[in-house]
Amino acid sequence: MIRGGRFARTGLVLPILLIALNTVYLSAALNIESQFSSGAGIGPRTVPILVSLCMYVALVVVVYGELRDDSASEPRGAVIRPALVVLATAGYIFLFRPLGYWIDTALYVAVLFGVFQFEIRRPHFFAVYVILVAVAFYGLFAGVFGVRLPPLPGGLG
Amino acid sequence: MDTFLTFAHGFLALADPSVIGFLVAGFLIGTFFGAMPGLTSVLAIALLLPMTYTIDVIPALVMSAAIFMAGMYSGSITATTINIPGAPSSMMTAIEGYPLMRKGKGANALGHAALGSMIGGSIGAILLMGFMPLAAELSLMVRTPGKFSLVLFALVVIIIVDKGAIAKGVVATLLGIMLATIGIDVLQPIPRFNFGTETLVEGIDIMPIVIGAFALSEVLIQAQNWNSSFDADLARARDVKIRRRDFIPSLSEIREIGWLTYIKGAVIGYGTGILPGAGGSMAAFVSYAAAKSSSRKPEEYGHGSREGIAAAESANNAMCGGAFVPMLMFGIPGDPTTAIVLGVLVINGLQPGPRLLEQQADLLAPMFASLFVSALILIPLTLFLFGPYFVRIVSIPKGLLYSSIAVVALVGSYVATYSIFQMFLALIFGVLAYFMRKQNYSTVSLLLGFILGPDLEQYLRRSLSLNDGNPMIFLTNIDSLVFLLLTALFVYLILFRKRRSAA
Repeated sequence: MIRGGRFARTGLVLPILLIALNTVYLSAALNIESQFSSGAGIGPRTVPILVSLCMYVALVVVVYGELRDDSASEPRGAVIRPALVVLATAGYIFLFRPLGYWIDTALYVAVLFGVFQFEIRRPHFFAVYVILVAVAFYGLFAGVFGVRLPPLPGGLG
Repeated sequence: MDTFLTFAHGFLALADPSVIGFLVAGFLIGTFFGAMPGLTSVLAIALLLPMTYTIDVIPALVMSAAIFMAGMYSGSITATTINIPGAPSSMMTAIEGYPLMRKGKGANALGHAALGSMIGGSIGAILLMGFMPLAAELSLMVRTPGKFSLVLFALVVIIIVDKGAIAKGVVATLLGIMLATIGIDVLQPIPRFNFGTETLVEGIDIMPIVIGAFALSEVLIQAQNWNSSFDADLARARDVKIRRRDFIPSLSEIREIGWLTYIKGAVIGYGTGILPGAGGSMAAFVSYAAAKSSSRKPEEYGHGSREGIAAAESANNAMCGGAFVPMLMFGIPGDPTTAIVLGVLVINGLQPGPRLLEQQADLLAPMFASLFVSALILIPLTLFLFGPYFVRIVSIPKGLLYSSIAVVALVGSYVATYSIFQMFLALIFGVLAYFMRKQNYSTVSLLLGFILGPDLEQYLRRSLSLNDGNPMIFLTNIDSLVFLLLTALFVYLILFRKRRSAA
């Protein structure tokens, strides 16, 4: 293993992120004011503080375990497809109301088909399946469950 | 007699065409998700959760129960035919079913799996209906300190059953509890952890966590593992030839297995289901091991034992009945599927507990009936009608499948509250769950921590407040002491005893 490799492990990223979040959580917990005090100072901040302290202990154990673990880290390229799905999903959500269900869903499904390499060599089938998915789930939500979806750009329609 | 009539009324509710429609649709959806490797009945119910905002509670519960039962059974289809368990609970069935498949007796193995599932599932549903009133009476006897220790017991068992990553299980559970503390305090009308925003004052809904943890994270995992051996599975699935008439097991084979194997498997499965976090995999494994140890032909195990299939399948389907007991009586889900069913109850304003059975048994009875009908009628019927085509399920293009799941999950999280914020939350929890799953943190523990966290806090604070902060109340209160001893016993049995025997 290369020097410093143990500290660059992907297994350490999540517990370190959680330690940071736990610190924010604990400081917010310490600032909770109780409306009325009950016996022995038990109040709205008691459990969050206890949970936060237990979290520190558990995370230290996890970090220690990760540092001792010699198994290979995941190659960085392995997360490109999931990252593309996350970006596409964030875009889908962001544009859901501005573009409306039909255009936004069609674009999102097209991107996912690309990521999953579905019918990318047959553009006609690709387009037909994109339309089919958008129509099928509009039918399910709006038709079967009677839900209002924004069908057109800007929520028109 | 009253209880009997109430449950009989549940069967009458199924006579409503729309309710029976939801039952059949749920069963077929559960069969599809259970049979398809990578998809589970948990994912199916997770996708159903947003729809429950728009449909009545009875069809929602009936559909959830049918998905649960079907998903537990249908994992055996691909386990037997192509040696890939559709669900983790079908692992033992794959060990015995696939050797039979290679001997040209795949349809016979599927028939035995269906028969075991049918008997186990039916017995599990009957035990659920029969013991529910008793469980309700027992739960009334548990006081607040006892309830705290019971929730603690559930959380500890959920963490320690995942023996390979206990510290990570603790982290996931605590993270779930932390998420549950966001919003209004459980006992005082003050907001916590809203960080000055109004959106977080109401707290975090269960729906985006379920959608993120079980649907979107699955899409991300599949996107990463895209170059799998899928084409090989497809080719194997296309080669499988199954005839309908071969599904029916012969009487001599059933006699050889013995009715006691089915009944013992069902009782083990039901009992395992009551334990929080145990689930169908453990039920199948314990029953399979018990059947093997008392078998007259133990040498057949691992080479195509029909008895092994019967034991495993009757147990994992009977587990469905058992898993509902702690969820309905204490709000403690036995497994992730019942955790999401608990979400369905909560969304519809139903609070688990003994009063639920007393006051709203008319809503629960159709769900119990759905479990029974799914096991007794739909399992054999669907196998007979669609069995030859079941194995082709794996040949559905996965790109189309996962793209569709992503759309259903996101639009579903929007339609529940018409909120773009809920969609973003689902995405955030999806990404978090993806990294958790990649690093071997249990998302089931996250969900159960989130569900049980408010109860744990409420019971702890009430118990301590009533006793001037003295924690000895948990040792002096008898029911609390029983659950604490039970927790210690499970920790000893699952962790230390196993380690000793391994050494």
